[in-house]
Amino acid sequence: MMRRFFYILVVALCLAHVVQAQDDVRRNIAIKEVTVFGQRPMKDIGVQRTRIDSAVLKENVSLSMADVLAFNSSIFVKSYGRATLSTVAFRGTSPSHTQVTWNGMKINSPMLGMTDFSMIPSYFIDDASLLHGTSSVNETGGGLGGAVRLSTKPAQADGFGLQYVQGVGSFKTFDEFLRLTYGDDHWQLSTRAVYSSSPNDYKYRNRDKKENIYDDEMNIIGSYYPTERNRSGSYKDLHLLQEVYYNTGRGDRFGLNAWYINSNRELQMLTTDYGEASDFDNRQREHTFRGVLSWDHLRSDWKLAAKAGYIHTWMAYDYERDPGNGIMQTMTRSRSRINTIYAQADGEYYLDKWLFTASVTAHQHMVESRDKNIILQQGNKAVVGYDTNRMELSSSLSAKWRPSDRVGVSAVLREELFGDTFSPLIPALFVDGVISERGNIMAKASVSRNYRFPTLNDLYFLPGGNPDLKPERGWTYDVGLSFAVGREGVYSLSGSASWFDSYVSDWILWLPTTKGFFSPRNVKDVHAYGVELQSSLDVALSPSVQLSLDGTYSWTPSRNEGEPMSPADKSVGKQLPYVPEHTATVTGRLSWRTWSLLYKWNYYSERYTMSSNDLSLSGRLPTYYMNNITLEKGFSLPWADLSLKCAINNLFDEEYLSVLSRPMPGINYEFFLGITPKWKR
Amino acid sequence: MNNILRFIALATLLLTSCMKWETGEEETFAASPSGLFITNEGNFQYGNASLSFYDPATRKVENEVFYRANGMKLGDVAQSMIVHNGVGWVVVNNSHVVFAIDLNTFREVGRITNLTSPRYMHFVSADKAYITQIWDNRITVVNPRTYQITGYIDCPEMTMETGSTEQMVQWGDYVYVNCWSYQNRILKIDTRTDQVVDELEVGIQPTSLVIDRNGKMWTITDGGYDGSPYGYEAPSLYRIDAETFRIEREFPFALGDAPSEVQINGAGDRIYWLNEDVWEMDVEAERLPVRPFLEQRETIYYGLTVDPHSGEVYVADAIDYQQQGMIYRYSPTGELIDEFYVGIIPGAFCWK
Repeated sequence: MMRRFFYILVVALCLAHVVQAQDDVRRNIAIKEVTVFGQRPMKDIGVQRTRIDSAVLKENVSLSMADVLAFNSSIFVKSYGRATLSTVAFRGTSPSHTQVTWNGMKINSPMLGMTDFSMIPSYFIDDASLLHGTSSVNETGGGLGGAVRLSTKPAQADGFGLQYVQGVGSFKTFDEFLRLTYGDDHWQLSTRAVYSSSPNDYKYRNRDKKENIYDDEMNIIGSYYPTERNRSGSYKDLHLLQEVYYNTGRGDRFGLNAWYINSNRELQMLTTDYGEASDFDNRQREHTFRGVLSWDHLRSDWKLAAKAGYIHTWMAYDYERDPGNGIMQTMTRSRSRINTIYAQADGEYYLDKWLFTASVTAHQHMVESRDKNIILQQGNKAVVGYDTNRMELSSSLSAKWRPSDRVGVSAVLREELFGDTFSPLIPALFVDGVISERGNIMAKASVSRNYRFPTLNDLYFLPGGNPDLKPERGWTYDVGLSFAVGREGVYSLSGSASWFDSYVSDWILWLPTTKGFFSPRNVKDVHAYGVELQSSLDVALSPSVQLSLDGTYSWTPSRNEGEPMSPADKSVGKQLPYVPEHTATVTGRLSWRTWSLLYKWNYYSERYTMSSNDLSLSGRLPTYYMNNITLEKGFSLPWADLSLKCAINNLFDEEYLSVLSRPMPGINYEFFLGITPKWKR
Repeated sequence: MNNILRFIALATLLLTSCMKWETGEEETFAASPSGLFITNEGNFQYGNASLSFYDPATRKVENEVFYRANGMKLGDVAQSMIVHNGVGWVVVNNSHVVFAIDLNTFREVGRITNLTSPRYMHFVSADKAYITQIWDNRITVVNPRTYQITGYIDCPEMTMETGSTEQMVQWGDYVYVNCWSYQNRILKIDTRTDQVVDELEVGIQPTSLVIDRNGKMWTITDGGYDGSPYGYEAPSLYRIDAETFRIEREFPFALGDAPSEVQINGAGDRIYWLNEDVWEMDVEAERLPVRPFLEQRETIYYGLTVDPHSGEVYVADAIDYQQQGMIYRYSPTGELIDEFYVGIIPGAFCWK
């Protein structure tokens, strides 16, 4: 398969060279002007934000936001496999401490609290920002670790446009992307579709089990680690995104975003599973619709915005087995249906050196969860599950003040109401200041208190839901320095370093009960602290050669500082399981004329699998480094722009695990052909 | 420009260093002739179940003995273990496998596969054993000599989805099995025909089953949970006559109690169970004891066993279920003799 790709790539590149038109499409991205402190938006006072570059988001069509964040940010992406549940966590917190918004609407599952980033194609996101720790309070409550803000933007099309990308990759992976755009002075329309599918049956050496060789009397005479295929890992994901924007040109903008997901994914078998893949079917299906209507009313010194939205999610989980008669029979059948109505109103008012903002957000969730069919004692059937509704209101007021170009202060007050429980007041304070105009050296500091309410499963799941749970509480402190230097068109270099310190108490953990099921309790106090570093360099090495380097590093000790759960408890003072202490990423992009070479690297330090950090045989997951490389060539033909791309993932064919017993793929390839026709005008 | 290229080359070298893998070596063991196996469930879906072996004479514990002896993992959720004719049989629920191991070297001697979700194993003879399952309405019949499935026992009024059969005891030609998850029955199986011939209704969710020296079976229900559509009631301890298959006596607990893990000593005259504390009762007793055998030690006990020879009591503490659990060993009079760490979620014991 791999050889064939290379062959196709080489032939295609040679042919294309022959037909290549004179006017090369320059792949170089203009080196940006360094943002001078005086031009900083007031909304960003003291904010620790990582903005994901749009070139990164549009790197290739097979990527999900989980893939993008793993290689381009310091947050930890815990991936259960390829195209499998992937969660992200900031600064040693848990995935449910990461709040995620899409065009302003919160998309964390109200049942589980977290977001599956493998279900968000990066080609659907035009703007992605990470708001670290305290900075999330500007956007939403509950982000004890931080928030991820995802949004779409008008395509700025002029007339009709079309883009089609076809990807073909290892393990019979096919990725298709189509975008249609239309735009004029007032209207911007865009339709995007992604369809990804693969049997996903990559080979790996299974070091967790052995195959035996028997003699005629069933005595074991030898054994070996089998080379297996990833079993039960296929996926078919369809995403559709429709956007309509209307700009009156007189300060009013209207928008409609509608995103539909139809996903059908098998759940991969563990490395330690001795069942036959053909005997079992373990599958998760999801249909989700998310729609947001927005209106922005802009005036010279004030702004009003209103949004309304709706989310419908239907999730099905089925675990079936063929008992031997060829008919699959249900072992577990669970269904959930979530309907969420969303509304938001924002106002901003500029007054001299002040900016005042106010925001009210409402999410009304209606949830039906059906987890198990049972036969009652009387013989009739029943379902174990729960139905519930919850209104989540969040309102905030902020005052931002910039008395001089060098200093900014911002105060935010947030209040949340979940069901009939008010959060205590959530305050956040931000300051920033210019230390040196030379080098644009700035200092930032912030502090906030925060709360996260239990999820609906935490409260109501049967069995185990605990209606007496308290919200998790946290304090976060941030201090940071940043600089930016450069010369437009020549180079730009920027960097930032921040130190954070956060305390979360009443951390919710699901623990087994003596009745054989799990139940959540407020048990842990966690102290997470550390350092986050970021740097970015763009250099024009010659008029046609440009180099970009981006790097991140974070050191995130996240310690359990709660009371011991029993006299034998060894977890106090230890790093939380599955939280790496060190993570780092480096991305390098070298562009020459119409060629572009991208190298991506990431590193996760050893992760413990036990709260006591025991170094038993399965007590830790080894450190891993991942290397991906992409070579791209663009062509400008009279009738279309073409792009050819070859991506190699896991370049050094590393055997690695992100989670115990979940195999990950070795070296794999994907080849992409992108076509953007040029319409005659 | 050259400096930059040099920097890139150096950085590439530094960044691409490989990760290190420790491949399991096969360690040689020579276990003491008697001792205690502890099956540690591990975390569901993380494949980190393990097997520990403790020698009460030397007070020495060896952890992860299956992994160390075989160079491979035990699997996902080690549910139970039994010993028969010098071979240990470890039931690994979510790995869909039962491993047969040598009791001295802990080396695998064979495995039974093609199971749905095995929970417990019971030997009827050297050629026939039963394996109970959850999420299957059948008990699997196997030939342990060939490790092959030879048949199934269909359980009445259960579907795959609601199937739950658990622990087994034998009285004469009959094997009795408690049905736990959203069930309330004890089934009676004729070992000559491998068929369910009778059933007995008890309270909601009988968790465990033992038989005493008088041929009386003891089961303890957990009563379900608040909000369960199946019902929620005060749990009970039941004494059931195996011969007549009738409840002789019901000993009720309070609503909200969560008793479990009924165990019996070697002589078959004293039963033990967990209900926050550890409780002990004579099999002839006509009422529940007033005071516990051992008081709870600021934790939730998860497993329990009694040394069939010495009458010493072993209690498992799973702590936070994400670290090595602790086993406490008590004398027959309740004095702490020893304590030792084992694997994650020590749930069941097996005496060699």
